[in-house]
Amino acid sequence: MSRLSLQMGWRLLRRELRAGELTVLLLALLVAVTAMSSVAFFSDRIEQALTRQASQLLAADLVSNGNRPPPEAWRQQAAQHGLQQAETATFPSMVFAREQAVLATLKAVTAGYPLRGEVQLRTQQGLKEGRLAPAPGELWADTRLLQKLGLRLGDSVRLGNVSLCLSAELLREPDGAMDLYNFIPRALFNHADLAATGLVQDGSRVRYRLMVAGDAASVAGYRQWLAPQLDRRTRLEDVEEARPEVKSALERARRFLGLTALLSVLLSAAAVALAVRRYLARHWQSVAVMRALGQTGGEVALVWGSLFLWLALVAGVLGTVAGYGVQAGLLRLAQQWLGAGLPAPVLAAWLSGPLSALILLAGFALPPLLALRRIPAVAVLRADMPTSSRSLLAPLLAIVALLGLAAWQVGDSTLALWLLGGLVGFLLAVGLLAWGVVRLLRRVPLSGAVGWRHGAANLARRPWLAVIQIAALSVSLMALLTLTVVRDDLIGAWQKSLPADAPDSFLINLQAPQQATLDTLFAKVGRNAPQAAPMMRARLLMINERAVKGSNYVDERAQRLAEHEFNLSWRAAPPPGNGFAAGKWWPADSTQPAFSVEQGLAETLGIRMGDVLAFDIAGKRWQAPVTSLRKVAWDSFQPNFFVIAPQGWMGGESASYITSYRAPDRDFNNRLVAALPNVTVIDISVIVREVKAVIGRLALAVETMFSLALAAGVLVLWAALAATRDERQFDVALLRALGASRQQVRAVILAELAWLGGLTGLLAGIGAMAIGSLVAVQLFNLPLAPNLWLPLLGALCGGAVVGLAGWPLLRKITRTPPTDILRNG
Amino acid sequence: MILRADALARQVDYHGQTLTILHQASLSVAAGESVAIVGASGSGKSTLLAILAGLDPASSGEVWLDGQALSALDEDGRALLRRDRVGFVFQNFQLMPQFTALENVMLPLELAGRSDARAAASAMLQRVGLGHRLDHYPRHLSGGEQQRVALARAFVVRPTLLFADEPTGNLDPATGRQVIELLFQLNAEAGTALVLVTHDTALASRCAAVYRLNDGRLQREAT
Repeated sequence: MSRLSLQMGWRLLRRELRAGELTVLLLALLVAVTAMSSVAFFSDRIEQALTRQASQLLAADLVSNGNRPPPEAWRQQAAQHGLQQAETATFPSMVFAREQAVLATLKAVTAGYPLRGEVQLRTQQGLKEGRLAPAPGELWADTRLLQKLGLRLGDSVRLGNVSLCLSAELLREPDGAMDLYNFIPRALFNHADLAATGLVQDGSRVRYRLMVAGDAASVAGYRQWLAPQLDRRTRLEDVEEARPEVKSALERARRFLGLTALLSVLLSAAAVALAVRRYLARHWQSVAVMRALGQTGGEVALVWGSLFLWLALVAGVLGTVAGYGVQAGLLRLAQQWLGAGLPAPVLAAWLSGPLSALILLAGFALPPLLALRRIPAVAVLRADMPTSSRSLLAPLLAIVALLGLAAWQVGDSTLALWLLGGLVGFLLAVGLLAWGVVRLLRRVPLSGAVGWRHGAANLARRPWLAVIQIAALSVSLMALLTLTVVRDDLIGAWQKSLPADAPDSFLINLQAPQQATLDTLFAKVGRNAPQAAPMMRARLLMINERAVKGSNYVDERAQRLAEHEFNLSWRAAPPPGNGFAAGKWWPADSTQPAFSVEQGLAETLGIRMGDVLAFDIAGKRWQAPVTSLRKVAWDSFQPNFFVIAPQGWMGGESASYITSYRAPDRDFNNRLVAALPNVTVIDISVIVREVKAVIGRLALAVETMFSLALAAGVLVLWAALAATRDERQFDVALLRALGASRQQVRAVILAELAWLGGLTGLLAGIGAMAIGSLVAVQLFNLPLAPNLWLPLLGALCGGAVVGLAGWPLLRKITRTPPTDILRNG
Repeated sequence: MILRADALARQVDYHGQTLTILHQASLSVAAGESVAIVGASGSGKSTLLAILAGLDPASSGEVWLDGQALSALDEDGRALLRRDRVGFVFQNFQLMPQFTALENVMLPLELAGRSDARAAASAMLQRVGLGHRLDHYPRHLSGGEQQRVALARAFVVRPTLLFADEPTGNLDPATGRQVIELLFQLNAEAGTALVLVTHDTALASRCAAVYRLNDGRLQREAT
């Protein structure tokens, strides 16, 4: 590109920007760049954080993670390999202080913890950072625990049977900071105090980790020795597979945000295409003049090409700055899980914005730009724009550009294709629906006020433009309605579906002899104590002598169930509230081996009546045929079990007990835990509140991205309104000549906006309603109760958005003087 | 007098210079009378028409339409007057492309808030011979048919005064003649006064009076 054309392009850009000829185009590019770069920054920084902190996230180089203490031989081998060692035991339990009890995740750590990464503390001497572990008799609690119990450093805190001194506030622990569902408070104490607490008993949910660190060769050697020793309850974690749940959650978040960014880009692309068409339709005469003055077709294309290049740069730089801001906001929402001090984004993330502006323009502006070359000088003498033959180049380039963007955003070209296909399909479906409605609208006999019919006719006059506008706006509006109204509806419906006397507390880790204490506590408040059910951790080994492996199943849930342990119980009488899908319950005194299996589990794992199942429970093998399939109401807030065995057969085994109840008064749980220090009480209302807060923050992040998509939708509206400006001026001049008052003219234009906005919002509302009902039925198993206000609310929102965005653009047109009708050819 | 113009002048500022488009033009049209205004392109015909119809204000002088001084009315007042008393026929037909023939004819009735708009418009289209094309869009009608729809739209409000701006300018001679016949017939039936702007002297000679506009100056020609 020659210097001259660059200079001319720059001069042209400044003039056109001042004249407002490029406003919509610039804004559309800005939105696209902002969306792309914010997601690029966001995912880049998270990925960097994950990579850099991988070994810190593990707090070691290699960890064996199981539900039993690691055998002594493993420690000896580690020592022989010259590795550093530390151990942790993590479990949920109640923490007491100031006559209150709060559920927390407790971690007992040995000296030497953490082997990698650092702990950050606030002690009475100030901030401390390093490889630190609490001394025996000490406890470090995180901020949430301090707040919930109103604790101050130096206070005494009780864990089970021991009292510990709260010596520090735990600000960061390397292997505990990034759990997305980590809304339960955490505390660290010394491993030496673990036994004395009495909290760890048979059937307790404890994760034992043996951590090692050292030079790579020693770690590899140890790993080689250890791997064959592992049973199925223990797994190895290393830097590569550190925190897979965090990785997959963030990966999902990244893809989802990428998808919304893609939606913004797609909508912006439509706005760009409309705006470029409009721009060139208004400027082809200048091109003809330049051609008449002796410029070659190539030179003309270069001048306008450089104009668009400059435009891409301006939009790229401004949009990248805006994108950085949006990303900073997103990260603030996720800070609780990511911690502060994320690494700065890499160069590629900075380039993503300007590059996407370039790709968009190349895809949507280049084809019409190249057509400029073919405008002949003689066109100067004509009144109409010469029509260039429509080439396949334009749509092809556009599709290639979008695909490139999508693949880059998602980082996986197959997935990108699916996502893009899904998005385009969705937009097409909405567009088709809009097309039908617009056509229908034209057939509805509308009498009365001239404005409404005129507005409807105006929409139907340019159906494809109306469809583009409606599709562009309704998709983002639907997403926002779903995220706000439908989300609240669902939570509300779920809460309403619970009976008023539904249990609000779960009690776990109860031991068999403690049922008497429980009875006494309830008797004191004049109520019958709930009967606790035994609970054992069981692993399904075989179905009909065939080994059960995760790899046997395609379904993700089936794989998980096959690989992990689940809860098993024994009973004499059938559990209240359970129905039977097949078979029948055993006699109360039966000592025969038998299993009763929950219907859903049976379906997932392919278990049928009469199949012989073998379970491993605490190292012992239990084998029996399936004699019944049960239907379980999981949302009953009663302890429910996948698999139950006859009491007379399994009843002698050691187990921990579980029950649920509605707390008679607010202080009851504190009294209960004080009397039974080893049990854990899970207050459901607290958890529901925390989950709601987490969902709220996540939704806000997604809403931010959808707001960008909405902005892109508004730009499509603007571009379409701008493209029809001349026709509208003609309409208004004619109406005025025929004697329409200003008010009537305004009514006609507002009616069109109202139809457009109303239809947009109606479709969005119906879509959100459908999504809500689908989610209610499919995910929450709630009765289908569509919110019938949604279409109305949608129509109002749509009308407001379109009215507020469109009216400023059209207001000037209402002042078109009627005399224009005589000049207008 | 249904229309009286007295000493109309129109000046525009162009780069600091004042250009006079219309000099002291006066004319009068009696009820039911037909008047032609002829002149070459650029002689100011359209400007005069715009001022007479109250589409554009004059720089000086006065227009009385059905006894109302236009300068005393604001834009909406003039629109109201046009709506109730004036019909228009344009060279380019100026039909709304998004409306059917019927809807185009209904438009002025609806603007006036008439509840019988559909029936009245339908009857008027029958009268101009388009009863079978009520639901057709302008793009599906020939030039002659479009101009007949425009005539129906102009006469459906029973105007006291009709302005026609080169009504045959975009039609072939044969179709043009048919449209003009229809125009004069409707005019006679409704007793409407007619102001016809044209450069076709033969057409102009069918009117009771002919005014010639020459370089912004209006003169009545002897008949």
